[in-house]
Amino acid sequence: MEIIAFVNNKGGVGKTTCSKLMAEYLSKIRKMRTLCIDFDPQCNFSHQYLHMEIDPSAPEGLIPPLHPDYDSNDPEDSDWDGRSSIAEIFYGQGVIPYPTYVENLDISPGHAEKLLTAESVRRSEVMEKVHKQLANFLNAPDVHAAYDAIVIDTAPSKGPLTISVIKAATHIVVPSVMEEQPVQGIYGMLQLWMQESLMREKTRPLQLIGILPNMFKQTRLHKDILKSLQDNTSIGKYVLPVKFSQRIVFAEVDAEDSNPRSIFDFPPHHVAKIEALEVCDYIAKRIFA
Amino acid sequence: MSKKKRFGISEALTRGLSETINVVENNAGIFRNIVLPLSRIELDPDNPRQLLVSLAEVKGGVKTDDPLYQRKQEELDRLKELAHTIKSSGVINPIVVYKGSESYRVVAGERRCLASILAGKQEIEARVFNEKPRGFELKLIQWIENTAREDLSLDERLGNVRDMLREYQNQHAKTEVNATLLKGITGLSLSQSTYYLSALHAPDDVQKQIQNGNIRNLDKAALLAGVASSEVRSRAIEACISGSSLKELRNMINQQKLLKKNAQVDPSKRGRTTARINMGATLKSDVVKIIIDSVVAHNQYDQYMDLFSRVNWKDLRQATQAFRKLIEILETEVVV
Repeated sequence: MEIIAFVNNKGGVGKTTCSKLMAEYLSKIRKMRTLCIDFDPQCNFSHQYLHMEIDPSAPEGLIPPLHPDYDSNDPEDSDWDGRSSIAEIFYGQGVIPYPTYVENLDISPGHAEKLLTAESVRRSEVMEKVHKQLANFLNAPDVHAAYDAIVIDTAPSKGPLTISVIKAATHIVVPSVMEEQPVQGIYGMLQLWMQESLMREKTRPLQLIGILPNMFKQTRLHKDILKSLQDNTSIGKYVLPVKFSQRIVFAEVDAEDSNPRSIFDFPPHHVAKIEALEVCDYIAKRIFA
Repeated sequence: MSKKKRFGISEALTRGLSETINVVENNAGIFRNIVLPLSRIELDPDNPRQLLVSLAEVKGGVKTDDPLYQRKQEELDRLKELAHTIKSSGVINPIVVYKGSESYRVVAGERRCLASILAGKQEIEARVFNEKPRGFELKLIQWIENTAREDLSLDERLGNVRDMLREYQNQHAKTEVNATLLKGITGLSLSQSTYYLSALHAPDDVQKQIQNGNIRNLDKAALLAGVASSEVRSRAIEACISGSSLKELRNMINQQKLLKKNAQVDPSKRGRTTARINMGATLKSDVVKIIIDSVVAHNQYDQYMDLFSRVNWKDLRQATQAFRKLIEILETEVVV
């Protein structure tokens, strides 16, 4: 089981879009049993597949809907409120992934309030309470038995939540818009990659797949910044040879009533589908070689 | 028209990104820094620094009837000073360990461990090697760790170099150990490397005084090791132990050598071997004329009288040639 995380502490660089495309590619094209994990308190990734609900106790936050397997009349479910998010790992509760409309694809959604609380625990407690929890959960035998791939969308931060993802991941991809500020976000992530790499044992390294140029426009700004990264001998090796262009269709399929709902359901010659296949195929080959 | 603007990422960011990547590429999986419980750490009995005080003595104090009480107590006092700084600012450099089956074995940082225990600490920051460093690497790390230390004795330092070179030779069969090699391994200067090797190969009397702690200076040890005469060396060792400076020792050895040399030399044997007779030189050509006249007056050589009758004796060149001719004739006539 491989654990792929899309990370960048700058927001708006397309982490969620990339996570969604990768998860759908693995489940639909590669037919792999895939679990999406939404580790961002904004819960955008969860919203792609579930009707997230407003949290009555924290009106700005979202909570997962009732689980389809939940039966309030079943005595077995008597001590469960019927909702399950990935944030349960911080509270000693079981995580019950939700099925999605995509075959082979499950999601463990976010929970705004609970994730934010986990992010704000005291520094001395962070290590045990947050950093190791996701790795502990994903290392469980039943998770390994149930899935071939895990795709994690992360919060735009370098805090405890992102660190716990870095600790759990086998591979990371850093999507970035080719502009100064998002590239600074790459630096933040490479710092985390460095800290984690120096801690890990040789047998299970954290592999940086690379920097994925996203929302790329054929402008001088984007082309020049991409070239300056590619031209540097150290950084150049980690700039992926594929990229996602700025295309409105990637945003359009996010709409609930969009038809089709996945880029991979577009006709074979659709330019966005060809591009998505090329990028995801490249990343998958690197991970599942 | 103005030139089109070019974009790029800042120099600082480029540097930050490439440095971070290089750190990971060069270091990932080799070691990691973690905080370890002191109870899981054990000292390395093979470390060249033979610690004066044991863990039990750190915890329970040195017994007054211990024969090394004075020295141990001094060491313990030094550890207490270190413990004091650890209490206030922690251990600044992590210790270096490798993982054994149950515990972690210290490669470098024994005093910091003991002082942390004295300071009442439960944990210590450590750099953990994922596997036991190979013989040579282990000794090299201990050397690097010890090289900056002032309280390490010459004997301990030499022991360290000896072990390191032995392990190096184990891993690189048939490598000749010389100062250039030692320089390459340790980063010492060539002269320091030479001194270490001289001291390592010193005669027994010098070695003994190094082991006893009577010779503590590497330069002095190397100087004494280079004295071939046991008599001169013995006097120099005495002078060294009684506190002579390096300069004084050097002067003394040179003087002794000179005295010995002068006493032994037979004047007749000085200089290059004499293989021929030098006939000397004179400004008076009459001297040459007298010699030649005397020879040709002899019956045996009167046949040459005419040869010399035409020589202008006032001309020194002609006189010289005449004399050479005479020698030539005599050599032919006498020797043959």
